[in-house]
Amino acid sequence: MTTQLSAEDRAAGRLVQRAFAKLTGRGGEPLHYALMDDTPVGVIGLAAGPAGLRRIDYVDDEDQFVARMLHLFPDCPLDRSAALDPVRRELESYFEGRHFVFQALVDLSAVTPFQQRVLHELLKVPAGKVTTYTRLAARVGHPKAARAVGNAMHTNPVPIIVPCHRVLRGDGSLGGYGGGLPAKEWLLRLEGVL
Amino acid sequence: MPADALAILLAKHGLELARHLRRLVRDDDVAADLLQDTFLSAHGALGRLRQGSNERAWLYRIATNAALNHLRSRAREAAAMGRYAAERATTTPAWVERDTPGGATAETDPRHALVWARVAELPERQRVAVSLRASAGCDYEEIARRMGGTAQAARANVHQALKTLRKEFR
Repeated sequence: MTTQLSAEDRAAGRLVQRAFAKLTGRGGEPLHYALMDDTPVGVIGLAAGPAGLRRIDYVDDEDQFVARMLHLFPDCPLDRSAALDPVRRELESYFEGRHFVFQALVDLSAVTPFQQRVLHELLKVPAGKVTTYTRLAARVGHPKAARAVGNAMHTNPVPIIVPCHRVLRGDGSLGGYGGGLPAKEWLLRLEGVL
Repeated sequence: MPADALAILLAKHGLELARHLRRLVRDDDVAADLLQDTFLSAHGALGRLRQGSNERAWLYRIATNAALNHLRSRAREAAAMGRYAAERATTTPAWVERDTPGGATAETDPRHALVWARVAELPERQRVAVSLRASAGCDYEEIARRMGGTAQAARANVHQALKTLRKEFR
């Protein structure tokens, strides 16, 4: 996606795709993944297709992440690839507090159009700022849809980069978080909000 | 074992092993076959892999063995092809070299089996004509009588057949 793979890796990737097609019947668009196993918020897995990053998942280990991706994308061959190195570097530098703006493209096509609108709106909330479910609902033109916005947060396929941790309850309490509340707290502290 | 076990193995280690196999055999189609064989046999033996043992090292071992077996059998094949070519060069039957009627031995001599295998693939009239000439020892009038047509046509058919055989068995 965001990096040029070597000719060797591209050729090897084609062999993996052939093996997937032959042995598992998966003939769709290839997905690449990477694992970051010692971030301050735990183990996270990244998966990307040609149009950008499709998943960031908080997981226990690599097998769990890979099994989940194979389940979510039942037609896609999957490989562990250097294609995600640039995103990984961006995340590393984010976790070190060196920069808070991501260049990586995200592919939100797996969620509903409404959820996509909410998540795109959320992308405009910069590090250091927070919003609420209600305010976000108003910003997408559905002031009464706070609960639906909450659901959109819940199904956010690329947390951290699409910053659902920056969304709090109206009373200022943290609300929920897919990666667990300690992770949400850690991210907000990193960004200087808490 | 979950149905996905094969896909999980392939996702985690496929790329690395594909790179490894391509370097060993230097042929994408062969590497593709070996990659598939590796993961199939790994999947079949997954139950025997002890929990916590190194799955990656184990896959590398299977893939490397598959590649070495392939390279060895290719070397054997190349050697056999060399012998075959050498043999072929020294056993071209006399009746192919010169247009002389052969005899019964022309067909039964095992050294001529390759030539006869090729004769079997010739167009029908050439095949029949050259067979009558070489193994039955017929002259052109006799061939013409048996096949219909003229002696001249029989000669042309034999001539064409021998030309093809000479080109391939020289």
